[in-house]
Amino acid sequence: MFRSSDTCCVDALASGHRVMGDKPLWEQIGAGFVQLYYQQFDTDRVKLADLYYDDCFMTFEGTTVRGKNDVMAKLNSLPFRSIQHIITAQDHHPTPDNCVMSMVMGQLKADQDQVMGFQQVFLLKNIGNKWLCTNEMFRLSLHNFA
Amino acid sequence: MGDKPIWEQIGSSFVQHYYQLFDTDRTQLGAIYIDASCLTWEGQQFQGKAAIVEKLSSLPFQKIAHSITAQDHQPTPDSCIMSMVVGQLKADDDPIMGFHQSFILKNINEAWVCTNDMFRLAIHNFG
Repeated sequence: MFRSSDTCCVDALASGHRVMGDKPLWEQIGAGFVQLYYQQFDTDRVKLADLYYDDCFMTFEGTTVRGKNDVMAKLNSLPFRSIQHIITAQDHHPTPDNCVMSMVMGQLKADQDQVMGFQQVFLLKNIGNKWLCTNEMFRLSLHNFA
Repeated sequence: MGDKPIWEQIGSSFVQHYYQLFDTDRTQLGAIYIDASCLTWEGQQFQGKAAIVEKLSSLPFQKIAHSITAQDHQPTPDSCIMSMVVGQLKADDDPIMGFHQSFILKNINEAWVCTNDMFRLAIHNFG
């Protein structure tokens, strides 16, 4: 799904060319990634490995792990059986290094816990003609209220 | 500065500087952006130092105070730094609101500048 069809994509990304209707390319890439990420997370998070760069970073609630294997070990060790994410808002940017930055705000429900807000940021890079996540940060919003 | 990785030192210094400037005189924030910088403010996009400063300067409050609840920083494969901030802000006499903000920092000509900035209030994110 994240194979760019031609090498012009990165140039278009840098120059801000719009293709496929009104949405800029980085928004299509970012929104496509976000949709696939949460879909896989909610159905079978083991499969998320396909979306990460080998030397990726993930910070989960303040704890940082490095490398796809450690990231997957962290995700697989999360102590819930079922989870469902709902996206409230998402923003996408092109970066000067032809990456795509995506920020997501949403709500999640894990097992029978109450619904919680979360914030997540991704940096996506085209590597080997595939958009992969090189950087990810996740925080629950529940500590952020007076 | 102890055991902290360099990207954390740079990221947290930037974050401190950014909110300090924002809370004292946000018209001075132009110094941290470049012409290629992008800002998304509550879903609205702005590109370039001038457009970004114009947007920030025109925000409809006289005084604002940010307080940071949590911040995370990472190095990226292109030697940039990605930072995510969760915090609260108080604008004029409005109630305190939660916010989320993310930055990409890049070293250009020996200075760390902000190339990407995304801001969202957290107020719409509760069921």
